[in-house]
Amino acid sequence: MSNVVDEAPGAAREPRRAGRRRTRLSRRGRKEAFYFWLFISPWLIGFVGFLLGPMVASVYISLTEWDSFTPPQWVGLDNYTRALTEDPVFWKSLWNTFYYALISVPLGLIVGVWLANLLNKRVRGRKLFRTLIYLPTLVPLVATAMVFKMVLAPSGPLNDLLGLFGLDGPEWLLSATWIKPALIVLSVWGAGAATVLLLSAMNGIPRELYEAAEIDGAGAWRQFWSVTFPQITPIIFFNLIMGLIGAFQIFSQVYILAPNNNVGGPDNASQMMVTLLFQEAFSFYHFGYASAIAWLLFIVILVFTVIAFRTARKWVFYETEVR
Amino acid sequence: MAIAPQAAAPGPAAEADRKGRRDDGDAAKRTLSAFKASPATYAVLIVVSALLFVPFVLMVSISLASDQTSAENAFTIIPGEFEWSNFADVFTATGLPVGRFVLNSVLIATLSAVGQVLSSSLVGYAFARLRAPGKGVMFMIVLATMMIPAQITMIPQFLLFKELGWVNTYLPLIVPNFFSNAFNVFLVRQFVSRLPSELDEAAQVDGLGYFGVYRRIILPMMWPILTAIAIFTLTFAWGDFMGPLIYLNSEESMPLALGLQYMTSTSNAMQLPPWNLVMVGSIILTLPMIAIYYLGQKYLYEMNLQGGSAGVK
Amino acid sequence: MVDRIRWRAGAGTALTAVLSMAALTACGSGDSGDDGTLTMVVWGGDVDKQTYQERVDLLEAENPDIKIDLQLIPSDQYEQKVQTMIAGGDGPDIMQVAENVNSYSSKNQLVPLDEYVESSGLDLEQRFGPVGDLYSYEDQTYAIPDRSGAMIVYYNKDLFDAAGVEYPTAEWTQEDAQAAMERLTIPGEQWGYGGAGWWAQWWSFAYQNGGQIVDDSGRPTVNSPEVVEALQWANDLTHVHHVVPTAAEYADMGPDMGGDPAFAAGKVAMNTTGFWAIGGLIESDVNWGIAPMWGGEQQAVSAFGSGLAVTRDAENPEQAFEAIDFLTDAPAQEIIIDNAQDVPANLEVQQSDAFLQPEWAPEGLNMGAFGESSEFIFRAPFIPEWNEMQATFDDNLGEFWNEGGDAQAELDEIQTQLESIIQ
Repeated sequence: MSNVVDEAPGAAREPRRAGRRRTRLSRRGRKEAFYFWLFISPWLIGFVGFLLGPMVASVYISLTEWDSFTPPQWVGLDNYTRALTEDPVFWKSLWNTFYYALISVPLGLIVGVWLANLLNKRVRGRKLFRTLIYLPTLVPLVATAMVFKMVLAPSGPLNDLLGLFGLDGPEWLLSATWIKPALIVLSVWGAGAATVLLLSAMNGIPRELYEAAEIDGAGAWRQFWSVTFPQITPIIFFNLIMGLIGAFQIFSQVYILAPNNNVGGPDNASQMMVTLLFQEAFSFYHFGYASAIAWLLFIVILVFTVIAFRTARKWVFYETEVR
Repeated sequence: MAIAPQAAAPGPAAEADRKGRRDDGDAAKRTLSAFKASPATYAVLIVVSALLFVPFVLMVSISLASDQTSAENAFTIIPGEFEWSNFADVFTATGLPVGRFVLNSVLIATLSAVGQVLSSSLVGYAFARLRAPGKGVMFMIVLATMMIPAQITMIPQFLLFKELGWVNTYLPLIVPNFFSNAFNVFLVRQFVSRLPSELDEAAQVDGLGYFGVYRRIILPMMWPILTAIAIFTLTFAWGDFMGPLIYLNSEESMPLALGLQYMTSTSNAMQLPPWNLVMVGSIILTLPMIAIYYLGQKYLYEMNLQGGSAGVK
Repeated sequence: MVDRIRWRAGAGTALTAVLSMAALTACGSGDSGDDGTLTMVVWGGDVDKQTYQERVDLLEAENPDIKIDLQLIPSDQYEQKVQTMIAGGDGPDIMQVAENVNSYSSKNQLVPLDEYVESSGLDLEQRFGPVGDLYSYEDQTYAIPDRSGAMIVYYNKDLFDAAGVEYPTAEWTQEDAQAAMERLTIPGEQWGYGGAGWWAQWWSFAYQNGGQIVDDSGRPTVNSPEVVEALQWANDLTHVHHVVPTAAEYADMGPDMGGDPAFAAGKVAMNTTGFWAIGGLIESDVNWGIAPMWGGEQQAVSAFGSGLAVTRDAENPEQAFEAIDFLTDAPAQEIIIDNAQDVPANLEVQQSDAFLQPEWAPEGLNMGAFGESSEFIFRAPFIPEWNEMQATFDDNLGEFWNEGGDAQAELDEIQTQLESIIQ
């Protein structure tokens, strides 16, 4: 009865189950397994060839003090204990990263699904609308930076807009309180990127399903929830996982928006995990410490991904129950 | 069953609907309520697209500003000046081989996209459809490779490519794409697991092997997602300057995105780059991608999946 | 079956294309080391590229045995690229260095140049004056000065004339400067000064007060009364005296707004910055002049510059030094000023007509301001932890600069942090 979702994240339970299954593999099963390994070999070769080595190296580096020039000094777990117990900036950047990821990812998904649903309707000029909504993804970062510094100025267009609703806009990038919301605004601006996949998934939904719903008297809203949404849950799930991994690794957005190229932002309010490790590695020459931060971040992301996979079986709908 | 639609939605509309299903070109085809665009739909789309288009207007505005406006950072959102000569200056005044840059970008981006499409479809299919012991663990490893920030494996990876003698060639930028990446593998897997399995089961009964099922049954249905992968890879490779920066040394081999980086560069931290020329560069960098996306949509969304997809053609 | 073969053939063609293309680029550029070509890395933009290339061309023309492969790296990525090259065992032969020089020299990545200097008979003091030993660490010279210019005062003649204020001179005190700023300010419209939030600016005030950021024994002294007073003054100019635009006022003027573009736009009457602002001002409508920095208890001003160093990976350090020697000699240095790139470090060139009356300068521009300033340039602490020190200031002073505050409290905190960073 297991489906894909069940199988993939259950790494912890896998050995037991796999072991049991292995003894039962039929000849056909062995053939299937052989083709599985054959077909994934491009990825496997690439992984072993290009990534495994550097990853193992970075684990080793995280256990040393290394300025990237002179030979590394073995320090054991010192870098990890320093990050967790001594470095207030580490905790601040961890909190900042959580703040950003846990708001921007759900928000981006909601906006993305909403826009995709609108674009999936029979509208004139659909190609143009789709292009415009995808446009932010295509604009080079340096241009994005210029634009957002203008838009987010204390008397800039965004605050003018808020003023129309009687709201007194904050100083966004200049304020320790508002720089993270400003980064979230930037991420929502790029939410249209998700529409590519969502639309492509919506396009694949058989028309018959809608016709059946129509017959049952369902309106647009109910058709969305009873047909569209369940059918695109695999892609929403994909966007959720990728969004989480991406948001926890937020880097260039901070780099371009932080005033005067000071990644920390006002009083480290926009210091994120990856900007911190980048600064430690390439500005301060503490490569060992930076690598330790990278692996701590890895653990954080891993935990959230596993949680996401665990909850997935409750809401992600697969057409095929993979055997 | 045949009576039900009449009862639920009586009148000529339902007739037209059923007729329309058979005859796609029929102008009278009725739109299902999920796809009906109300004036509100248009209002929202127009407002949202206008908001998202503002930055581009601003890019154009800055790109047409005079050198003086640029030195003062006194830009306006709506273009106030029209220094078209800026577009010529980028090619002449900067002394950079911009034409060569474009060629390099095209080469790197195209080959990267080809590599990703070829490899990801096969690997993603295997993860979605084939059963094997250890598959769950392998998939977790696929995902885990994305969780390590690239910044930290950069130096070890550089050492590796240097050992291979690949520094100052395009190989470190292109070859890894032929071994797929986690993002695309996961994407294909998600897409394929949504496809009905009856077809490939039937094909297997008919004696088609695993590769045959992939090649004949799954691949033809995968085109939208492969187009998406191609677009994503093209966009990424086109805009990436960090990889080229690290691995390429000679100017003739650099792609356009790195060239743009040179335009924004100054000899002192407090010095200002020539913003007007930088924006001209940004526009030149963006336009091809907009064109590709605009044209690529046809293959992304307007493909008739399973002969009866719901999206409006 | 036919399909499969065709598919494979396609993949094969693509792979072949990759490999052949890669081979092409590999031939494209001469790899350093094998054929004796020296790799030289510098940062910057178009003007820098052109200027360095012209200098290298002159070098190669006069010294047929030296071949240089010049690589310009975008400034923002310079340190990262060089670090990757060195860590990969493939460092350049000659590299441009600046304030951060000693993070390389302290990690044994640069070749001490003293013996080459000696054997070539080069007199650093004579060629460069007081900055001759700027790039020394633990009594060894690690780089030869190449570009070096003091921070100067830019002033808007029209705004000064309209307010009836005398043009600034080196004789001004901080009080004179503030009095002038107040008279030159029209609230909400025009400001007397562009601000002093950048290290080069407010550190100058600290050294004018007789303070030091790091004392001669290498200990940080940022919470001394002199430094506190300087920082407080720099901040009060914005938040108490309102003669400098606030961060919010700047942000409303345009993206990335600061003293330099605001001066070019005629919104601030005075601005303290380096040589590079000249390029933009020549294009502008502003009627401007330059003067040496004002003083305090004593005269002091920061300088900007960069040097050229030889790295550990250089296969022929002697020849690399020979190249640097030539590039910092008068003929090659003149190109720097001809292109309006920067102030050449070479004193002979700084005092020549080529520098004092460059073709591109507006009538009557006091280029002598740079030479005059060199008398009282203070020595900024080029400690190996330079980047960390700057980040400590930036991280702690963010809100302080944006909203005002108590300099003593901020600097006490910074002092504590610097003590743990600087060993």
